[in-house]
Amino acid sequence: MVTENPNHANNYPRPAATPFAPPQSNTPFSSSRPVANSAFRPTPPPNTPPSFPSGPVVGSEVPGFRPMQTATRPTPPYGPPTTGPFQRFPTPPFQTPPPPRTAPPVGPPTIRPPAFQNHQPQVPPPSMPMGSPPQTMNGMLSNSNMQQPQPPMGPRPGHPAAVRATSSSAWPGYPGMQSNTATPPPPSGGYAPPQPTTSTPFQGGYAPPQPTTSAPFQGGYAPPQPTTSAQFQGGYAPPQPTTSAQFQGGYAPPQPTTSAPFQSGYGPTQPPPVASPLGMYVGGPTPPTGGMQGLVEDFSSLSIGSVPGSFDAGLDTKVLPRPLDGDVEPTSFAEMYPMNCSSRYLRLTTSAIPNSQSLVSRWHLPLGAVVCPLAEAPEGEEVPIVNFATTGIVRCRRCRTYVNPYVTFTDGGRKWRCNICALLNDVQNDYFAHLDATGKRVDLDQHPELTKGCVEFVAPAEYMVRPPMPPLYFFLIDVSIYSVKSGMLESSLTQPQMMVVSDLDDIFVPLPDDLLVNLSESRTVVDAFLDSLPSMFQDNVNVESAFGPALKAAFMVMSQLGGKLLIFQSTLPSLGVGRLRLRGDDIRAYGTDREHALRIPEDPFYKQMAADFTKYQVAINIYAFSDKYTDIASLGTLAKYTGGQVYYYPSFHSAIHKDKLRHELARDLTRETAWEAVMRIRCGKGVRFTSYHGNFMLRSTDLLALPAVDCDKAYAMQFALEETLLTTQIVYFQVALLHTSSSGERRIRVHTAAASVVADLGEMYRQADTGAIVSLFGRLAIEKSLSYKLEEARNAIQQRIVKSLKEYRNLYAVQHRVGTRMIYPESLKYLCLYGLALCKSTTLRGGYADSQLDERCAAGFTMMALPVKKMLKLLYPSLLRVDEYLTKASGHGDSEFEKICTRLPLAADSLDSRGIYIYDDGFRLVVWFGQMLSPDISRNLVGEDFATDFSRVSLSERDNEMSRKLMGILKKLRNGDASYYPLCHLVRQGEQPRENFFLLSNLVEDQVGGMNGYVDWVLQIHRLVQQ
Amino acid sequence: MAWEVIFWIIFFIINIALIASNLYQIVCLSDLESDYMNPYESSSRINAVVVPEMVLHGVCSVLLLLTGYWFMFLLTLPITIYNSMLYMNNQHLIDVTEVFRYVDAEKKYRIAKLAVYLSLFFLVVIRSMIAGNFTTILEPFHPTNEDLDILSHVLEF
Repeated sequence: MVTENPNHANNYPRPAATPFAPPQSNTPFSSSRPVANSAFRPTPPPNTPPSFPSGPVVGSEVPGFRPMQTATRPTPPYGPPTTGPFQRFPTPPFQTPPPPRTAPPVGPPTIRPPAFQNHQPQVPPPSMPMGSPPQTMNGMLSNSNMQQPQPPMGPRPGHPAAVRATSSSAWPGYPGMQSNTATPPPPSGGYAPPQPTTSTPFQGGYAPPQPTTSAPFQGGYAPPQPTTSAQFQGGYAPPQPTTSAQFQGGYAPPQPTTSAPFQSGYGPTQPPPVASPLGMYVGGPTPPTGGMQGLVEDFSSLSIGSVPGSFDAGLDTKVLPRPLDGDVEPTSFAEMYPMNCSSRYLRLTTSAIPNSQSLVSRWHLPLGAVVCPLAEAPEGEEVPIVNFATTGIVRCRRCRTYVNPYVTFTDGGRKWRCNICALLNDVQNDYFAHLDATGKRVDLDQHPELTKGCVEFVAPAEYMVRPPMPPLYFFLIDVSIYSVKSGMLESSLTQPQMMVVSDLDDIFVPLPDDLLVNLSESRTVVDAFLDSLPSMFQDNVNVESAFGPALKAAFMVMSQLGGKLLIFQSTLPSLGVGRLRLRGDDIRAYGTDREHALRIPEDPFYKQMAADFTKYQVAINIYAFSDKYTDIASLGTLAKYTGGQVYYYPSFHSAIHKDKLRHELARDLTRETAWEAVMRIRCGKGVRFTSYHGNFMLRSTDLLALPAVDCDKAYAMQFALEETLLTTQIVYFQVALLHTSSSGERRIRVHTAAASVVADLGEMYRQADTGAIVSLFGRLAIEKSLSYKLEEARNAIQQRIVKSLKEYRNLYAVQHRVGTRMIYPESLKYLCLYGLALCKSTTLRGGYADSQLDERCAAGFTMMALPVKKMLKLLYPSLLRVDEYLTKASGHGDSEFEKICTRLPLAADSLDSRGIYIYDDGFRLVVWFGQMLSPDISRNLVGEDFATDFSRVSLSERDNEMSRKLMGILKKLRNGDASYYPLCHLVRQGEQPRENFFLLSNLVEDQVGGMNGYVDWVLQIHRLVQQ
Repeated sequence: MAWEVIFWIIFFIINIALIASNLYQIVCLSDLESDYMNPYESSSRINAVVVPEMVLHGVCSVLLLLTGYWFMFLLTLPITIYNSMLYMNNQHLIDVTEVFRYVDAEKKYRIAKLAVYLSLFFLVVIRSMIAGNFTTILEPFHPTNEDLDILSHVLEF
């Protein structure tokens, strides 16, 4: 960990290494302490001034520094606090560092660094106690050097200062601080507080420290959690005193002064005052402290008991990071390139593109993008439509890039340089405009394509192989006995009223052509037919389904025009070509090499048909209704390769699923859909897209054929570097989707984004986007499960997470005392949790018994197409407690509603048997009634049935306030995302197996069915990372 | 030895056919890669020749075995086994929907096959020359079949 740092090395090494890590025990610490102290002292004195040079250097040297690891044990406590903000800070500091140095004299920043360095060097021997503090210090220093500028600057300074002050003076104070400072404090803590802390731990006896450490860490993590702080206080508080004492003893000379000054200095944030007195020290560390930690440590960390056996004690579940705010998109990227298209359309797994192959090989996460070309734009942000009627679409001659905001005009506006291939193109006369003094076109405001990253061009005739097709929907309905029984016919067939054109066909009588009718002209005929369908087949006792022949018939009808084929299937295809066997029940196949065969289509007929349908621009959506095995793996293939999707309604019954089917079918028919589309993503020289993941068919190496695309479909892709070294500073990506809109116009939607090229792995981590990474991970794992065992797919996810965290750890372990903490970049703090959630998702979880094969496959097909936000919601659903809101008298306003929308950790511990909870994963809502819930509430909500079996009770609005409120909540939750209609299930605590099925098995943080819980998972990953 | 000469001629023809079929498939795959051909056309063209090629290869193998040319038979054996494995697993045809994912692997596999067939081709040419000329030339000097056999063993590696 710490050892290696050259500069820091001295300081860190000792402390970190020996005492902390292995020993954990008190002894090391104690010993270290003394040492540390000694070390410290020495350092400070000499350090301060002299160190300067080095200090700064250090700081500057290692950007990494920030990461600092303040972490060292002592620090850790603080460190944790560092959490997000801090970490980020650090970075900036780095950059700044140089200035600071210069500044040193002037500003606090400089000062600190020097001090640190000095300290560190000297300190080294002390190791432990000091070590940790020193580390912090070092870290601080480095950071400070770097940071210093920042820290001081940061608003935090104040906090930090305060915190530190507090911390140093009174630990107890810390806790309070924690939230704010907690993290930040570390630095300061590192210095002033840290010392104390550190010392404390030592003194206190390290033993306890573990917990403490963890606590600190947690605190670090926890930032949010008061608890942690509390712990800290508790744990630390006592020690603190000691520590301080010790410090003083060891540090004494410096400390007192330092601390005092620091605090004061810090508080204010001004290093200067402090600086002078203390020496660099103060200034350096302190200022940062508040912000420090942030500054100091570039990473977040979790302290984990140093003793392997002590994990449970060492890791507080409350401090683990949880995405309770949903998807958090990195904002820095958008700020850096304001002309980029919105992250709705394109998200890169990291917005810092590595500049060399070697860097790529150290980045173990996927390198790619998730594209959702037709994402729904919020009101007021509609995509501008550009019509180059006279000039033809302006594109680069060589690479065919569409004109975009990043092209540059030169030569007085007569030429433009392509941003992707750098070719100089002539500007056509019609498109010509003069340039103003700044080199911008004078008519910029009239050209959205030159100012916005996302535009839609109207495509002229050369972009068509045939006249634009009208939207066409064809229904293929299974009328075998099960459909009749379940009521599927009635419920589904009252729907298609919004279509423009509909095709009807009696499935069993394949007739070519002329079956297409124009809905507006023949509406009555269609309605009559639909109405008569159920009665026509009501006496049908046929259990066979001639799916294959029907598919062929549909193909013949549709191949003239293309369109969308909606297949309503409720039994296993059993007649004619494409008939399938029952194969899902083979429990023996699980765990063997043949396991994956169950998840791929059994008959090549389906792949071949899918390919043919795509060729003729037909998209297929599968609506599957059976409660028995229907071989979704085979049927879904049709949707997968035609850009469609699979809707699966297990145990469909029209009384229950009516609303869901109606909503989803209406959505399918009415959402904005692009027809006969092809999509391509272009990128700058040196970068090449290598693989694509999602529901589509590849038409050529980089062209996705999408017979129908809509706003609910996203596609993931990975890219690789073609050259060993990228020479450009920026890489541009351009997604172009050529499609026919529902209004019958041929259009090209173009999304352009730029991303910087970096040479630093730390920067890649900093700019990573968890959402995109998880999306890609999910798709890769699902694809893997099609050719390997589930186990292997899950392991692959874990492996990659471990590798990336290990690499990250290596990045910082050298300069910072990482000790036994688990460190990770702030940007990826949820990665572990989402990884776990992926392994526990319906598709990948467990083995044979953990989910039905059909459900597994349907979930897999669905996840392959999900946009990022929806995916994250599915992986970590929200759990809301609503009973208080329901029982409270007033409270209709939105503010009240906002209040209940506080998501709870997805663990059984969050469930209170006196409450009502709503679990919402975007696909279903589960309302959970606690056992101790007052019967009145239940009665109000579900009527007199409240005591019976909930599986037969459905929630409907009753004539009382409470029920109206609940329905209001459900409605709001449903409106939040219209792409699916979450069906509401009622579950009572203790009602098995329903409770288990709907809720308990989906609480990802719990240990379910042999899968790790969140804590165990983190510990396991941590252990693997440390190996 | 007239029958021997006939066999060599048959082998020669089969070999040429195998090489041609492989070249054709490789060309299709390269066209696909460089976007000169769409995946539908490319895979249907390749799939059309895959099974005939396998059959031809099997015939060639069996003939070599029956005629006792062990070394050459062993040379063709790996491909025979691999082919039958692919066929049993139903993986011998190109999958239109996933062509691009496997195009590299498929190409490499076919290039490897091509190399084997080419080496086989040279052996066949040499052996047929031996069969056609040497034996007739040497016959007067080796009145007995036994001697000839020994000699041929030497020539046969």
